[in-house]
Amino acid sequence: MGKWGIAHIFASYNDIIITITDLTGAETIAKCSGGMVVKACREEGSPYAAMQAATRAAGAALEKGFEGVHIKVRAPGGKNDQKPGPGAQAAIRMIARAGLKIGRIEEVTPIPHDGCKAKGGRRGRRV
Amino acid sequence: MRITRIPRERVGALIGPDGKTRKYIEKRSGVGLSIDSESGEVIIVDEKADPLMGLKVDNVVRAIGRGFSPERAFKLFNDDYYFIIFDINDYVSGKKDHVRRVKARIIGSEGKTRTIIEQMTGATLCIYGHTVCVIVDLNAMEVTKTAIDMLLSGSEHATVYKFLERKQMELKMARYGF
Repeated sequence: MGKWGIAHIFASYNDIIITITDLTGAETIAKCSGGMVVKACREEGSPYAAMQAATRAAGAALEKGFEGVHIKVRAPGGKNDQKPGPGAQAAIRMIARAGLKIGRIEEVTPIPHDGCKAKGGRRGRRV
Repeated sequence: MRITRIPRERVGALIGPDGKTRKYIEKRSGVGLSIDSESGEVIIVDEKADPLMGLKVDNVVRAIGRGFSPERAFKLFNDDYYFIIFDINDYVSGKKDHVRRVKARIIGSEGKTRTIIEQMTGATLCIYGHTVCVIVDLNAMEVTKTAIDMLLSGSEHATVYKFLERKQMELKMARYGF
């Protein structure tokens, strides 16, 4: 008989941010990001950083008596990447392995209803 | 439940002879696939399966839809492999001639360039329609992405080969972990 929460996972190619909240989403229980667990900037978005961050956040949530989480995973969205970065899957796996139950997984990447113009000039986008 | 769409001419590849490919995917992952062969819409029913499987099957279906053979796309069931799509229309204006020229640059004469990229990085490339798709493990992801990006945005082939050559040592280090 534990409480359930929501794990918000933001995974881009450059970083990962995990915020675990209660079911309303208004109260933050635990949070962790890629920059908090690795030294080098370019590793912030790697699956390794995601694992560390997820383990930390999940540990803190377990300590506060949480039993399981629903997952909302998102990419930067909008005019940027639509697909979550490489850390997203690793993070979900580690949350499960840390002992939290996984409820529903939802993708909440913001999709523009035709908003801003994508980056790039006459010669197209050079990534 | 997830919905993706693949080109109509790839629906056959996703289903396979006598539905073999589709059955294999369903058996291996535990999700249900419902394929509309008229519109190419694929509905992935993943409620009963392992929560991560939905994401993986989504990638596999999209990889097959973007021109990979099923055998190669099944690599994506492995945790270490990632799937990247480059849209050529992002790099050149949508004119058919331009897309064709850029595609030819990546493939090279008789597939020379593609083979070199594949051998140097361990990636699998697929150039189909207006996209370049890559299945690659994480260590080589950055290098592969940069190399393809250089080709798409107009670098000379020699420059790209030199770049790949330079990164060989780094890749080896990452692969063996020291």
